[in-house]
Amino acid sequence: MAEETVDVLIIGSGHSGGMAAKILTEKGISSLMLNAGPVADVHKDTEVKPVYALPFRGFKNPGILPHVFQSDEFNANTWVDEKENPYTYDPQHPYNWVRVRLFGGRSLFWSRQSFRLSDYELKGKSHDGYGDDWPIALADLAPYYSRVEAIFRVSGHADGLPQYPDGNFVPDDSPWSGCMQRFVAAGKGMGVPVCKPRSSLGVDGLASSVNLLLPDAVATGKLRAIPNVVVRELSVDKNTGLVNEAHFVDRLSRREMSVKARVVVLAAGTLESTRLLLNSKLANSSGVMGHYLIDQIYGAGIACSVPEARDGKGAPDLMGGGGLVPRFRNIDTKAKDFIRGYALNLYSNPHGMDPRHFAAYGEELQTKLDSYHGSGFSAGIMGEVLARYENHVSIDKTVVDAWDIPALHVETKYTDNEFNMARDAVDTAVAMAEAAGFEVLTKNYDPNPPGYSIHELGTCRMGDDPKTSVLNKWNQSHDIKNLFVVDGSAFVSGGWQNPTMTILSLAMRSSEYLAEQMRQGNV
Amino acid sequence: MRRRDFVKGILAASASARALAAQQVAPAAPLTPPAAPHTLPPATPVAAGPTPWMQGLMEVKPLELSTLVPDAVAQTDAHFFNPQQTATLERLCALLMPALKGYPGALEAGAPEFLDFLIGVSPRDRKQMYQTGLDWLDEESRHKFLVVFAKTTDLQADALIRPWLRPWMTDHPPTERRARFINLVHTDIRTATTNSQAWSEVAQAAGRTSAGLDLYWYPVDPDIHRATRAQMQSQGQGQPALGQVGRDQNAPRKRGI
Repeated sequence: MAEETVDVLIIGSGHSGGMAAKILTEKGISSLMLNAGPVADVHKDTEVKPVYALPFRGFKNPGILPHVFQSDEFNANTWVDEKENPYTYDPQHPYNWVRVRLFGGRSLFWSRQSFRLSDYELKGKSHDGYGDDWPIALADLAPYYSRVEAIFRVSGHADGLPQYPDGNFVPDDSPWSGCMQRFVAAGKGMGVPVCKPRSSLGVDGLASSVNLLLPDAVATGKLRAIPNVVVRELSVDKNTGLVNEAHFVDRLSRREMSVKARVVVLAAGTLESTRLLLNSKLANSSGVMGHYLIDQIYGAGIACSVPEARDGKGAPDLMGGGGLVPRFRNIDTKAKDFIRGYALNLYSNPHGMDPRHFAAYGEELQTKLDSYHGSGFSAGIMGEVLARYENHVSIDKTVVDAWDIPALHVETKYTDNEFNMARDAVDTAVAMAEAAGFEVLTKNYDPNPPGYSIHELGTCRMGDDPKTSVLNKWNQSHDIKNLFVVDGSAFVSGGWQNPTMTILSLAMRSSEYLAEQMRQGNV
Repeated sequence: MRRRDFVKGILAASASARALAAQQVAPAAPLTPPAAPHTLPPATPVAAGPTPWMQGLMEVKPLELSTLVPDAVAQTDAHFFNPQQTATLERLCALLMPALKGYPGALEAGAPEFLDFLIGVSPRDRKQMYQTGLDWLDEESRHKFLVVFAKTTDLQADALIRPWLRPWMTDHPPTERRARFINLVHTDIRTATTNSQAWSEVAQAAGRTSAGLDLYWYPVDPDIHRATRAQMQSQGQGQPALGQVGRDQNAPRKRGI
């Protein structure tokens, strides 16, 4: 029987767990990583296939992954099967919980959009009076953002906008395509900034924990890892009150095991980390654990055509490229029926059009598809969802997963602030597109269900007051000083920005703090 | 290499054990002649035993066999829709996705038969949407033109279909019941057609060599209890309604993370 006590136990292997492993092991701290899923090997686990050779001709196995709109039959086996790992919600208020348990987690599959939060988000209450400020400001995070951006090789252009903070970029000085120039000009006329997108180039196209973070940890010789173990519960030493053990179950054999640790770093992803703590009945003296679940509005947007690009005239200097309208509402002026703001993702599509954008069929539709080929332009919202106490998760004692671990119940819904924001985003996009001379083919005001963005945040929010927050500003539990939660659950507000860079920066900052506290003997 | 030797050793040990066990029931070995003096004793004869089942698999090379998908040579036995619904679906297929520019239409691509299979194994709400939608279309046709939908002219069929056509965006099909049916079935028919082997062959011949190709993920170290668990949980548990389930090659890849 092994009776080892590991120095740091890291639960989760995605961006946050990978960053924790990299920082801690590079500081000389031995770490053990537990991951709920297997290590994927693209050479062994994949094959290039024609869609007609798939069992369901590209439709997916019906009824499987009903909440993973991002899935298709090619990638269906990479997502968490929700029959195996269920969650519950009120049918009137569905929630899309999109999960990956492969080693590397969701860092294997993400859009690469790489943004900093601004003080309009980190100090949102100070700006508009709603919610709570974070206990940290952009100035606290900026040095970490810079280091993360260097690791992930973030491509971007410095725009000098306070709501779209510049970073440590691989410079993007590429010219706008013609249609984007027209959209930029339309924005200028309406006081709406249109900027270059910012995204992680990574290495060889991959910007994941498995290629940018974990290899550095492995190289130290200080990281060990166990795949295929699902953590059931954490327990504390009754004398010290410190967390000292993780109980887990082997995913395949169902063998129950446990491991002792001096420090636990939770990085299982926002809702899995919170689920584990709620099931463990730990670190919740504030009573706010599980509350203030946040995500971002996606799905509302428009699809257009650039008339001059039709009938084979969509040359590369006219079509192609993307852009980003950063938040512009509620900065210097006040929107009439919502607070906070949204961004618009812009894409110019030099390829085929989506047939669903036309109310036609048969030969008439084909004629349109041929004519409109290469003329597509779309805009989609990324909007802030307000942090609300009532949007929360709890343990559903009536449902367990395949390992008999109680499942999560999600209660969240959008309100008028989100719906009004989505309507404003679509109306603004339509006005800009029409000003640019584009034909608007279709538009949609309805956001996708909460969770769709895969940017679930909050539920273990950080704060200075232990009575109103779960973690302190170092992602350390107020209640249990050797427990750190370094994933997105620490967020106080979400903003419109893809949170990956912020999660990574917080994990880096927290892990360096932890290493120093361990060195000083405080943890 | 070291692992292979180790496995061989395991296999060999296993074979010896089975051979020993087999000696108890195997016929007696033939008598051997008496050993000549001053010679080493002969090796103990080994009784014939069962061949280790996995023998030789470590060294075998992958079979070079060109395999087919069933659609290449076989027909789907359609049985979900009733004959009237099938006829209506076939008429819809012919109308909405005819053969064009050398590419097969929905009928040539076997879309009606494939959709019969697909919808037949789909969640209840999707089955109902198709069945009630096809029945409604047929009733409308009888009411307006006094013929079943399957027998409508293109003009008549267009009069029934066109009022319900809507442009829409991914994940957000029309919410009105009739429009939802017409637009979703249209998308399904297109997807079943453009994702067919018949379509792929024409695309390949036209030089679109990567059309419909993508990286398929096999289950990664699948849970050995998964099937049982899923079966248990699916009993009596319906799936939520979804806007669409197909992979449309023309649609942009969804994003979110």
